[in-house]
Amino acid sequence: MVKGTIYVEHLSKTFKKGNVQAVKDVSFAVEEGEFFAFLGPNGAGKSTTVQIVTTLISPSAGKVYVAEQDVLTNPKEVREHIGVALQETGIDPSLTGREMLHLQCRIFGFTNQQAKSRTNELLEVVQLSQAADRICGNYSGGMRRRLDLALTLVNKPKILFLDEPTTGLDPSNRKSIWDYLERLNKEEGTTIFLTTQYLEEADTLADRISIIDDGEIVATGTPQELKAQIGNDIIAMTFENEGEAEKAEAAITQHMPDADYVKNTTELNIYVQDGAKRLMEIVRLLDQQDLAAQTINVNTPTLDDIFLKITAEGERKRGEVEHG
Amino acid sequence: MGNGLLKDIWVLSKRSVLTTLRSPFSFIPNLLISTFFLLVYDSGLSGISQLPAFEGANYLAFILPVSVVSAAIGGAGGAGQGIVKDIENGFFSRLLLTPASRLSIVLGPIIAGMLQLFVQTILILIVAFLMGLEVATGFLGVLVVLLLAVGWGLAFAGYSAGIALKTKNAQAAQAGTLIFFPLIFLSTTFVPYELIESSWLKVAATINPTTYIFESMRTVLIDGWKFWGIAKGIIAITIACAITITFAAVSAKKAVSRG
Ligand SMILES: Nc1ncnc2c1ncn2[C@@H]1O[C@H](COP(=O)(O)OP(=O)(O)OP(=O)(O)O)[C@@H](O)[C@H]1O
Ligand SMILES: [Mg+2]
Repeated sequence: MVKGTIYVEHLSKTFKKGNVQAVKDVSFAVEEGEFFAFLGPNGAGKSTTVQIVTTLISPSAGKVYVAEQDVLTNPKEVREHIGVALQETGIDPSLTGREMLHLQCRIFGFTNQQAKSRTNELLEVVQLSQAADRICGNYSGGMRRRLDLALTLVNKPKILFLDEPTTGLDPSNRKSIWDYLERLNKEEGTTIFLTTQYLEEADTLADRISIIDDGEIVATGTPQELKAQIGNDIIAMTFENEGEAEKAEAAITQHMPDADYVKNTTELNIYVQDGAKRLMEIVRLLDQQDLAAQTINVNTPTLDDIFLKITAEGERKRGEVEHG
Repeated sequence: MGNGLLKDIWVLSKRSVLTTLRSPFSFIPNLLISTFFLLVYDSGLSGISQLPAFEGANYLAFILPVSVVSAAIGGAGGAGQGIVKDIENGFFSRLLLTPASRLSIVLGPIIAGMLQLFVQTILILIVAFLMGLEVATGFLGVLVVLLLAVGWGLAFAGYSAGIALKTKNAQAAQAGTLIFFPLIFLSTTFVPYELIESSWLKVAATINPTTYIFESMRTVLIDGWKFWGIAKGIIAITIACAITITFAAVSAKKAVSRG
């Protein structure tokens, strides 16, 4: 195994409390220097995975290696090599930003002098030099996030874990964190594992993405591969009401058995190879059924579409299991 | 990278002290209450020291240990409160994600709590001296009282930290400190053992370790250097510390991981 990698095999986690199976047989590997994203909706198991991989909680089953170390038997070695920003920031609100950073430096074995200069350096990076001597309990949400990010960078980690680092940030803060992460990854070669609910974020930043839903990885690939996976075009239609949309859905199922589609209340998305040609076919079909769509668009897919399609398939499968 | 255990403990205790100093309302009320106890009990109850069982002892010297020990127990609860706060604002997880030893992460708040007790006890002793305290064993005796108070506080800090780590919940940790009342009051708090009337209170006082702390302190303050009287308290503290700090360390291991 190469240093700087994350290696996870058949990882499962069941919380005894509530008997929740949060992660189900998840396997993935992240190469040194790679920017990898875990993309999934609320409750998908992203944070649980991050907490296991970063030694905070133990898995129910499976193997996890980070920086060539087994997280179960050598947690301390793992912690020396990683930087972690959990979903909830980890800040003592009674300390100033400078004191927080200094403390973190000292815990990582810096001398007082080294800690001072590293603290100044990081305050600069996250643009908190001005606010450094204010109690961080009074920081805004965005400032806290930035301080939290700085704290994870103290030990110049080779591997960085970021659990939804930009959730709740305004666009300019988000953009500056994106820029910084890209620089870390490209210029310093830091391996980054990031979780997000934002497709745009994964699309912009990640070399490779795994989509996780209900504790399972349902798709993995580069952003381009994932887009290719759902066909070339999407015919997106909206109907006046859900009943109309259902009728259209039934017609499509009956007359175009090869078409892939996702219905979401009054919206119907059909995935096809040759959008323009199939559009005529679909319009004719709807016309025969006396249905009229309010809007019709032919789009090339975005990650949003992939996400919607894959998670909807997951729901459908689960529905089938439950109903027979 | 990383430190030895001692540097971890040093760095993390310093931070806990700073955090405590930044929220003075976490310790000032406790200090005031303990001093208040001393004033009120001494002026309200000192008459009973005329009873023969007191053997002519000064009631101030008799009641001083109650003030000192209640300050110690009340103050030590702060260790648990501090840990609960850290868990709630996510700082505890951040510490767990560093290579710092797990023991130092628990000991930081406990040691800060102990230092707080040290200062508190000195202040209470100063007030007692201003009120006319006389100590049978002199300055060395005062040091023994101080050490007994801090030792008993340490045991209780371990208990409160353990409860905090086990429940990870502010209310539960607060409820855990209710043990303060039986510990302080089901004992030889106001009168010597021989004067306790009811037999259930006698039983409670016998099994309550605080009784032996009181006895040790009173021996030093009133009777002089009597080995066995002083040793009882030290033994009680040693056993209690061993139990509660083990409890805290075990709870920390579980809180840390294996969720
Ligand atoms: N400590 C816990 N005890 C019991 N159940 C838990 C615990 N932590 C998480 N879960 C459950 O495990 C599942 C996955 O949660 P997780 O926090 O990993 O999701 P997530 O993908 O991070 O979601 P979000 O985007 O909302 O942060 C959820 O059903 C959650 O309720
Ligand atoms: Mg999460």
